[in-house]
Amino acid sequence: MLLQLKNVSKWVHSGGQKVFLLKDINFWVNEGDFISIMGPSGSGKSTLLNIIGMLDDFNEGEYTFLEEKVHSLKEKHRANLYKQYIGFVFQAYHLIDELTVKENLEMPLLYKKHSASERKSLVADMLDRFNIVGKKDLFPSQLSGGQQQLVGVARALIASPKLILADEPTGNLNSKQGEEIMEIFTQLNKDGVTIIQVTHSEKNMAYGSRVINLLDGKIE
Amino acid sequence: MLRHNLILFLRNIKKYKSTFLINIIGLSSGLACVFLIALWVLDEVQVDRFHENDEYLYQVWNKFESQEGPRVLNWTPSILAETMADKLPEVKYAVSQTIPAQFAKVPLHVNNKVIKTDGVFAGKDYFNIFSYHLIEGDKDQVLEGMNSIVISESLANQLFGSLNGVVGKVIEWDAMGMLEKHQVSGVFKDIPANSTTQFDFILPLATYKKGIIHNGGKNDWVNNNPITYILLNEETNVEEFAAKIENFSKLQDEDVTADLIMTKYSSNYLYGNFENGQQVSGRMNYVYLFSCIALFILIIACINFMNLSTSNASRRLKEIGVKRALGSKRTTLITQYFGESVMTAFISLLLALLIVFLFIPQFNIITGKVLSLSFDPLIFGLFLLIALFTGILAGSYPALHLSRFKPVTILRGQLKNSWGEIWVRKGLVIFQFSLSIILIIAVLLVSQQVVYVQSKNLGMDKDNVVYFKQEGHLRQNAEAFLKELKEVPNVVNAAMTSQNIIGTNINTTGGLVWTGNEEERRSRFKELRIGHDFIETMDMKLKEGRSFSRQFLADSAAIVFNETAIKMMGIKNPIGKTVRYGSTQYSIIGILNDFHFQSFREVVRPMFFRLNNNRSNLEFVVRIAGGTEKETLAKLKDSYAKFNPGYVFEYNFLDTDFQAQYAAEQRVASLSKYFAGLAILISCLGLFGLARYMTERRRKEISIRKVLGQSASQITMMLSMEFTKLVLIAIGIAVPVAYLLGSNWLSGFAYRIPLKGWYFIGAGCMALFVALLTVGSQAIGAANKNPVNGLKEE
Repeated sequence: MLLQLKNVSKWVHSGGQKVFLLKDINFWVNEGDFISIMGPSGSGKSTLLNIIGMLDDFNEGEYTFLEEKVHSLKEKHRANLYKQYIGFVFQAYHLIDELTVKENLEMPLLYKKHSASERKSLVADMLDRFNIVGKKDLFPSQLSGGQQQLVGVARALIASPKLILADEPTGNLNSKQGEEIMEIFTQLNKDGVTIIQVTHSEKNMAYGSRVINLLDGKIE
Repeated sequence: MLRHNLILFLRNIKKYKSTFLINIIGLSSGLACVFLIALWVLDEVQVDRFHENDEYLYQVWNKFESQEGPRVLNWTPSILAETMADKLPEVKYAVSQTIPAQFAKVPLHVNNKVIKTDGVFAGKDYFNIFSYHLIEGDKDQVLEGMNSIVISESLANQLFGSLNGVVGKVIEWDAMGMLEKHQVSGVFKDIPANSTTQFDFILPLATYKKGIIHNGGKNDWVNNNPITYILLNEETNVEEFAAKIENFSKLQDEDVTADLIMTKYSSNYLYGNFENGQQVSGRMNYVYLFSCIALFILIIACINFMNLSTSNASRRLKEIGVKRALGSKRTTLITQYFGESVMTAFISLLLALLIVFLFIPQFNIITGKVLSLSFDPLIFGLFLLIALFTGILAGSYPALHLSRFKPVTILRGQLKNSWGEIWVRKGLVIFQFSLSIILIIAVLLVSQQVVYVQSKNLGMDKDNVVYFKQEGHLRQNAEAFLKELKEVPNVVNAAMTSQNIIGTNINTTGGLVWTGNEEERRSRFKELRIGHDFIETMDMKLKEGRSFSRQFLADSAAIVFNETAIKMMGIKNPIGKTVRYGSTQYSIIGILNDFHFQSFREVVRPMFFRLNNNRSNLEFVVRIAGGTEKETLAKLKDSYAKFNPGYVFEYNFLDTDFQAQYAAEQRVASLSKYFAGLAILISCLGLFGLARYMTERRRKEISIRKVLGQSASQITMMLSMEFTKLVLIAIGIAVPVAYLLGSNWLSGFAYRIPLKGWYFIGAGCMALFVALLTVGSQAIGAANKNPVNGLKEE
């Protein structure tokens, strides 16, 4: 088992009342899974993803990632954990505008201990694998949306994570570009990478092996 | 990682050139100002500290009790120094020295060459006390004997062309009624600029005693003339010693009324004022004031920098969010931001040094100093430290604040600003503008007062009057020369006087006795001894009676008062009445309308004129017809050459002396102009930063307003109004403060301009105008953006 959530709840206070964003989530993921989280707007999909990605806190419950109890870890420890095992793909790509494709790809490696030559070869591998060698010195604004997301995926993969978290990865893309990204995900999954994606689209959902439906912060 | 951050820093500069430029301009002008002040302060605190014996070098002062409380005077008995050295074991050396002003512009002759320069008379141990380096001569011997003279290196070069064989050569000098020949016994290195005592030659005090104060006898302890300096032994307890010498003079002679106090020589410059016989502040106040201003400017510049960085950081939020999501530690981000601001500070440092380099000549003119940007490791170390400190201070807010947020919050664009934060920003702008407005008002006030002082009717005519010294051969044929002067075409009138009429040097006396005042004798008068026609030459107006005249031989026992004096004495129908001065009865022949002989800071003091005897005539004054200065002065020069061969005709305009009294005010006027300019610049940068930040923050609101149909001009108005409010608040704060400060400053003048409303209104309007100009561009820019862009990003 890669990770497990037990009775996880998250709430905010609004007008003196507790408003639950997530309530009593019980949920586990095995290595090699390809999970789609579905649900209408405001059902808590992204919140759940962020909690899994350790970018966000929760108020109650337990979260175990590779035998580590995330809820009781120190911030620094937690950062080390997700740095090592998790890669993120965002809907709005979130590439840094002032950096070239190559430099964007290199960034996650900077926060780990890699030598310069290692970084160079890893970046070169990734450029090769995604067929974007020719674009390595361009800035994000010089690329199409699909190409930007390709770089986004490449960046998520460069540190060879066990788990990829994708928040509506195709939300800003046209259907053809979307399909390409989903094909890549499928391929990655076949190579052994666990994937959790948040999506609205039935079509994307079909790529996954398991579906979790959220409604008002609860798993249906 | 470093390379990455450097790349990000540089690419951000490239992308947001204007922001970077504004940051750099703000920081570097602030830094430049701080550096200039730092140079000034460093120079100021080092004045007179170069003497090796600084720690044990003291000046001894006379302290008199008077009606207005204790008065401390630098004049001391001329035998005080030698007696102290003799009788007090704690005193290693003691010397008397005349003040340089007393013996200024003395003509020195070598063959046919005449050079006029300042000198002092000093006791024989002078070079044992002060560290003026002797190039030639022995410090124990150079001031021995009656006929030696020690000259500065540059004077030696001017007089003899080189330093070779200068010792033993003869110099003739001519001053204060003496004409003497002295032999060069030594040469000293020119006195450094940071010494308060400046002179080019030293004569033995013995000569002074013999020729001018006629020593020997009872008056030695009562007459006060030179300054006294002492050098204490190293183990002396200074406080005990000070208590011990308090009544030293009194013990030597029963007629002495003065106590002795002592101050450290090097402290006299910064703590030059005395209160109740105690040394209190002085220039040190300015040192503190300017240090505070420097700190203020630095902090304001830093806060502006912070403000701009923070508002720009919203553009870089994504970068921060992504970095955090990819596993960057908070400390890494903090280092990155500090690194960037320190780098910016160092770029500003370079620019600031350039500005300092360019402005230093101007700054020297204003401050009257000789500062330079030398590569002194201490100064550069200090500058580096200031820049580092600035960088860290300026970077602290963005570094600590922005890195605090959770990556999700940032990536979702949910960064909220507390209202407190916005009020801090607004408060800052209000503060900066208040300061600018106060400075603008200060500039207006000071310049108006200076104009007023220069144009007010003095009660005499200071324009077109030249004066020069009676020296050399003129002393023998003064009357004949005066007659010749009056014949020169375009010379309106000419006369002799004992002293310059302008300024504070006019003698004060208290020995006047009149009916109803036989006992008291305490009233003090200004006294000037003048020649015939002086009153006419100066164009002073008679209120009653007549002026001195050659037709009345008895005028040698006549006296002329000014109006204030008569009022103070309370004499009715004064003409023809007599007053006693010394042993002579003087009859009052005329009353003059009051005229200003001192600066406008002083009220007109009681004053009287007597005719002088020939010995006390020391200056000629000549009024020439306006507009004919050039040719008339040429003719005066010819006459002078005829009567006084071998001397250079050196004259001054009375007008110039008059202006010199306001040198400090003029300095303040020009300095405050620069400060006001800088304050406005920095305030505008602050306002610009705020305007940009606010429009950035309200982008969505502006977009929605536009979509709902508000026009661009309406939005521009709305945004501008918001900042206008801030400036109006600033005006509300600044005006009362400026009013208080202004009236306080003006109260230092006995004659002053009224505080008019338009100074305040004008300054406020100016600030408002500049503010609108700054904000307007931002507002128009924001109002004309495509609303779709503003909404899409949400």
